[in-house]
Amino acid sequence: MQHLYKQKCYPTIKSRISQIFLLAPIFLITLGGCGITSRIEPYKQSDVVIGEGESVVVLARKHHATHETEQRIVDCISDGLASGNDGLSVHNNIEFEDKLYPWFEPSMAPITTVELSELLERENVLNQVLSTGVRFVIWLDGSTTRVASGGGMTCAAGIGGAGCLGLGWWEDDSIYDATVWDIYELSSTGTIYADVKGRSVMPALVIPIPLIARPQLAACRGLTQQLRQFLTSSEYGNGPNTSSE
Amino acid sequence: MDRMRVWLSRTQLQALVVLTSLLLTSCSTSVWVEADFPQPLVNRLPVRMGLILDDDLLDYVHYEELPRQAAYTIQIGEANELMLVQLFQSMFTDIEQFNDFSLIQTNIAEIDGVLWPELERFEFDVPLGQRDEFVEVWIQYLIKLYETDGQLVTEWPVSGYGKAEMVDREEALNRAIVVAMREVGATISTKFSDQPDLRNWLQGRKNAAPL
Repeated sequence: MQHLYKQKCYPTIKSRISQIFLLAPIFLITLGGCGITSRIEPYKQSDVVIGEGESVVVLARKHHATHETEQRIVDCISDGLASGNDGLSVHNNIEFEDKLYPWFEPSMAPITTVELSELLERENVLNQVLSTGVRFVIWLDGSTTRVASGGGMTCAAGIGGAGCLGLGWWEDDSIYDATVWDIYELSSTGTIYADVKGRSVMPALVIPIPLIARPQLAACRGLTQQLRQFLTSSEYGNGPNTSSE
Repeated sequence: MDRMRVWLSRTQLQALVVLTSLLLTSCSTSVWVEADFPQPLVNRLPVRMGLILDDDLLDYVHYEELPRQAAYTIQIGEANELMLVQLFQSMFTDIEQFNDFSLIQTNIAEIDGVLWPELERFEFDVPLGQRDEFVEVWIQYLIKLYETDGQLVTEWPVSGYGKAEMVDREEALNRAIVVAMREVGATISTKFSDQPDLRNWLQGRKNAAPL
């Protein structure tokens, strides 16, 4: 009986182990093909920091014809800066634009601090800005684009079942720069540049297994962390910060 | 057996009607533009204006069939009224609304001029569902200024452009239209006094005031 058990089960166990050894390299290669590479370069021109009772607002640059900064990354950074025990006072960007309408519409928003200075010469605009409590305006410029894709997948369904076979991949690049303006000093206090690339893969052996890289989320987290230090630390350093996951 | 055959065919017929209705619905998109337009932060011009919002403006509906896409029905009438009334109430010391020029004759002594805006052109483009694409809207109004006796002072075309990232098609179209309308409001509220004919008219009232 025991001999018969060995005869029936041993070949089955042996074939399973072979399958695992065959699939493991494919799985590891697939895992190695996806990931995120990020580069963040901060540059701060002054040692000014946010004070008690002062707020920041994150606004998207919308004057470009070819792209527009996505609202979701603006919201992500705003929420990130406001969260936590050391959260900053962050003014809602839509409410800020509505209160200052029409002066921060895409065609009207100041592009330079010189234009900002001219805008704030209007007494009603200056009073409205002061009433919001906002001292720092963070202009977010850039976008996330798909830079490459490839592979293929075939799916079929029949009476006996359904499944997919193949491998698809795509690479997204999130490039943003966050420029911080000090409204009280009417000057730019610095810029943080972020370039985050993410490659996603979707192997399919019967069932597609999505391995999604999220470079925009990584860019949000990186910029939020850097902006928090930028606004709260007078000894904030300069220079590139690279990492890969 | 014959009764069963009739019952089955009725059921199939009902299913066919429902399916056809669903298919027809998916081939058309209807957008009713909704938005809250903020008051512009500008100095009021010290003139009292009559404002004509006629039925063409208040009931404006744009219908268009895009190639390889659904038919779009876009209702902008209500948004027109919201945007223009809010805008002009903030720009002038007093605004009185009328539906027709003939109704103004009894109120001539109370107003300095008459504004009659017209939605002249509306164009839009919706991408075919690819990544990194935007819904775009171009909108142009014609702002006509009349003397109270009906004499035309000037016609001023004002256009606005709006775009919105396409995540949901109808929601993006609504956002793009609102952005374009806000741009129109921004231009009107900040450039009104800069138009030569309008500047001369204001100076003629001896009530000109810089923004």
